[in-house]
Amino acid sequence: MELQKEYQIVNVAGKFAKTFLRNPLTPILGAMLLVLGFLALSTMPREEDPQIAISGGAVIVAMPGATPEEVENIILDPLERKLREVHGIEHIHGMAMNDVGIVNVMYHVGENREDSNLKLYDKVMQHMDDMPKGVMQPLIKPFDIDIDIPIVTVAFYAKEKQGSDDAKLFEAVRRVQQKINAVENVAKTTLKGARKSQYNIQVDSTKLSAYNLSLAQVMQAVQSIATNAPNVKAKTDDKKIVVFGVKNAIESVEDVGNVIVAQYMNSPIYLRDVAMVSKGLDEQNFQTASILMKEKTAQGDEANLGESKSQITLTVAKLSGTNAVNVSEDVVDVLQHYSKEFDAMGIGYIVTRNYGERADEAVNELVNHLVITIIIIALMLVFALGWRESMIVTFTVPAILAVTLFTAWMTDQTMNRITLFALLLSLGLLVDAAIIVIENIHRHLHSHDSKDKEMEELLVEATDEIGAPTNIATLAIILTMVPMAFVGGMMGSFMKPIPYNVPVALVASLFVAYIFTPYLSLKLLKKEVHAKHASHEKQEVEA
Amino acid sequence: MKKLEHFIYNILSHTTKKRKVIMLTALAFSLSLLMFPTKLVLAKMLPGKSDNTFSVYIDTPAGSSIGQTKAVSACIIDYLKNEKEVMNVELFLGQGIPLDYAGLVKGAGMKNSENVAEISVNLTDKHQRDEPSFIMVQRLRKQTKEVCESLTKGTSIKFIEQPSGPPTMASIVVEVHGESVEKIRHIAGEVFGVLSKTQGLVDIDMMTDEPYDKYELVPDKEKISRSGLSVEQVNNILYLAFEGMIIAHKNANNAPDQIPIFLVLDEASRQISRPSIETLRSKLSSLNLMNTSGMMVSLSEVVGIKKVVSNPMIMHKDLSRMVNVVAETDMVSQVYPLLDARSKMLEMFEKDYSVTKAGFSTYMFDFTLEDKKTHEQFLVRWDGEMKVTLDTFRDLGAAFISALILIFLLLVIYYKSFVISGIVLLGSFLSLIGVIVGHWVANWFTSETFFLTATSLIGFIALIGISSRNSLLLIDFAKSLMQNEGMPKRKAIAVATATRAKPIALTAVAIILGSGLLAGDPVFGGLGVALISGTVAAVFVSLLFVPVLMDNAKAMDFERKK
Repeated sequence: MELQKEYQIVNVAGKFAKTFLRNPLTPILGAMLLVLGFLALSTMPREEDPQIAISGGAVIVAMPGATPEEVENIILDPLERKLREVHGIEHIHGMAMNDVGIVNVMYHVGENREDSNLKLYDKVMQHMDDMPKGVMQPLIKPFDIDIDIPIVTVAFYAKEKQGSDDAKLFEAVRRVQQKINAVENVAKTTLKGARKSQYNIQVDSTKLSAYNLSLAQVMQAVQSIATNAPNVKAKTDDKKIVVFGVKNAIESVEDVGNVIVAQYMNSPIYLRDVAMVSKGLDEQNFQTASILMKEKTAQGDEANLGESKSQITLTVAKLSGTNAVNVSEDVVDVLQHYSKEFDAMGIGYIVTRNYGERADEAVNELVNHLVITIIIIALMLVFALGWRESMIVTFTVPAILAVTLFTAWMTDQTMNRITLFALLLSLGLLVDAAIIVIENIHRHLHSHDSKDKEMEELLVEATDEIGAPTNIATLAIILTMVPMAFVGGMMGSFMKPIPYNVPVALVASLFVAYIFTPYLSLKLLKKEVHAKHASHEKQEVEA
Repeated sequence: MKKLEHFIYNILSHTTKKRKVIMLTALAFSLSLLMFPTKLVLAKMLPGKSDNTFSVYIDTPAGSSIGQTKAVSACIIDYLKNEKEVMNVELFLGQGIPLDYAGLVKGAGMKNSENVAEISVNLTDKHQRDEPSFIMVQRLRKQTKEVCESLTKGTSIKFIEQPSGPPTMASIVVEVHGESVEKIRHIAGEVFGVLSKTQGLVDIDMMTDEPYDKYELVPDKEKISRSGLSVEQVNNILYLAFEGMIIAHKNANNAPDQIPIFLVLDEASRQISRPSIETLRSKLSSLNLMNTSGMMVSLSEVVGIKKVVSNPMIMHKDLSRMVNVVAETDMVSQVYPLLDARSKMLEMFEKDYSVTKAGFSTYMFDFTLEDKKTHEQFLVRWDGEMKVTLDTFRDLGAAFISALILIFLLLVIYYKSFVISGIVLLGSFLSLIGVIVGHWVANWFTSETFFLTATSLIGFIALIGISSRNSLLLIDFAKSLMQNEGMPKRKAIAVATATRAKPIALTAVAIILGSGLLAGDPVFGGLGVALISGTVAAVFVSLLFVPVLMDNAKAMDFERKK
């Protein structure tokens, strides 16, 4: 063994180990990695599920009075033919109904959303001149998942059961909607089940006949009064402006009732004579919403649901790429700010959907799982390798995860269930490199020729020795993940974080294992003084 | 370690023992593969997940009033009311609930008619609840369906759970394509019949509106022009009278929106006692139109009334006429009811049609029908989750094969030997035994069926890499023992196996522990189980089977380096 010269480094593993072993920057690099990881963990946008780029849209063409067959021939068929020309469309669904034709377009998953929307719009607009006569302007409504799927929904209801308060409820909710839309990164807000106030004129047809009137007359009479006009300017002698304007003749619901519909036997017939004029709700709107819920009583929650109350649901969606958790927290804050005012008005509210909270819970739960798993693996290694070795391997895990998370953050990924599952999946794989290095160091330290060598040299040799097979093996795992990135369809997009993040984690695991394992071993491990068992084994081998 | 070394050396020294190892491995492999046809292990794309919310879609037949829809909804809510775990219930009449992932592909955002309603149900937190949402849905579905669907004939009630992965339109979608609307409707009806009799399928619905009676007012052109009226006037007055119109607006300083002024007949004047031509005529006679000379003409004078059947909606998919039949699975994989229903359909259609089955593709369940008399062609296409599953499995399968090829090439570059690379690959492929058996075992421990899912496949692909690493380390070490120490082949393999057993076992334990928490998740359970059981199998394969192959392979004869 005296012949043994200085070890020749053959692999990058040894090079890394040697470069960083005595480098004063190594601990700083380690600390920096952890800080970057922590930054990524706390600031990355969180979501429950990864975003799937689904694009599509609907073209709605109304043609009053047409039967489904007519709609099919005049609208659907030509439109569908034209849309076939658009690249990237997977399916075209057409629906021909009475009075209206709808063509739904679904693009292949992963098509760029903005481009797809433009292409659809463009294609329909190009052929506007081919539109049949008697057809109304087509409506083009692109799907926008981010904007269309609300992350928070809030139900507002009147605490006291008074049906007539629906309009007031709407007014109050509309004001909050304005405030919530002002919250940063909130995109679209809508109201569902809103009942708007309206002046209802309900005409009694028998009275109408009795006065020998037609409905059209009633309509004309009201329309002739209810007009708005702009102000008029006039100039005075000394060139000053005088502004005057005609006031809308209808100021209140009484004014509507006082409209004179016709003259009958020289006495005027007022609208209120032939119709019931009232200030009420939009009766013609059949889209209503109600809510039943468990109510808090003095004794705690009620076991059963309370009575059905009419409600207005405010839906809030966020801009794409923003943090659902922050947006929903801000929205809830705004609501809380208004809760006193609502109380005074007798309006209650309940948050019926909070994806932000759910995303946060899902992410936190998985982060906890990650931590638990790391602890379990660390404990296992204490028994198998000893506590110092276990500590070294355990340090590498957060460092690797930090690199992976930071890379994900930089490449505009969000933190979602699948990203974290990818990390959990890679956890079992990424300790491997460190385990193999530490195990080899362990073996070398315990072998009988260890006393002849410098600690440093020994660490580099131990690392370098397993470099080639570890590199190849890790590369093999990375290669298995790469084809997964090309899996198409929804499922492929859904699973994308796995092929994106696992390879990054594995590459990081190699570098971290080669850089920090020998470095920490130098600090924490010592050469075994009596290496009986190991030397015994070695002799056996040589025999 | 010594013991293992002797054990391996012992096996390697005897040809019969080596053969036994190979036989046993082959047996285990074929037995595990047999678990698919014997249905010991069931495949599904993604399993259900317990959630804090679910929704109910109510579709009364086309032409139903909002009142009828409301009655059905109220019936369901009555059941939901008594549920302990329900926190709140929201009913949205004539519209969809605020859009969610499930609703996105099911067209919930487009709902705007009197015959639809959706109910959103929020439950207590899933961590504090014993009953998973999918079990609850299964139970409620049975309870409510019979009672509430019978309120209005033709009503369909669907219980919608949040998808655990990407959403699909329905578990099973059968599209009937063809030229003749009546014919495809008829075939779809038969498909509907088969699906409703198939076990494991629920919420079956034909996605078309049923024809209903309606009345057509035929304007008498001659009378209209003679009385100095116009058809447009007739249309307007009818709409104004029964539907009502916003005829003017009032702007207001203190209201958030404009206040519309809405004109309509009052309730009593609008109501028609019962649907018949006579009642309609008498109602119309009370409506007057003013003609150009200021005279009143009764509406009933200028129109004739005819009872007709409504024209149902026509659906297209990819430019061909089609009717959809959808069904959800009741806690089972969609594969088995699908095959079941398909064979029943083939049998049924054989009488009147000549049936041609589709070739091998992801549309492999499709079949075309040709009417024996008229020679009209119809296509029965299976879409929905099944199609997505097949596409996904096909893509994952392709990904898996490419992974194998890539690894093989990598190994050939590294070892410069096809045989050694083959050994590594074969060794890693055999971890499939563990994956399949693992799912079978996991099925014992779970109350619901534990499916082999898309995530299981991802786990398996990852396993290929992991177990090839085991074999790699083994071969590499044995090679260096032979080259550097000049150890005889058999001895070198035994020593290498014994020495490498520890890191192999350690990394395996790390993977198993790391995946332990994955296995508990509904979606990624498959991945967790695949990794755990596959790793166990991989350890055995790389410590027993691979050494035997290495010993048999000529390519493993390395000379001592000089």
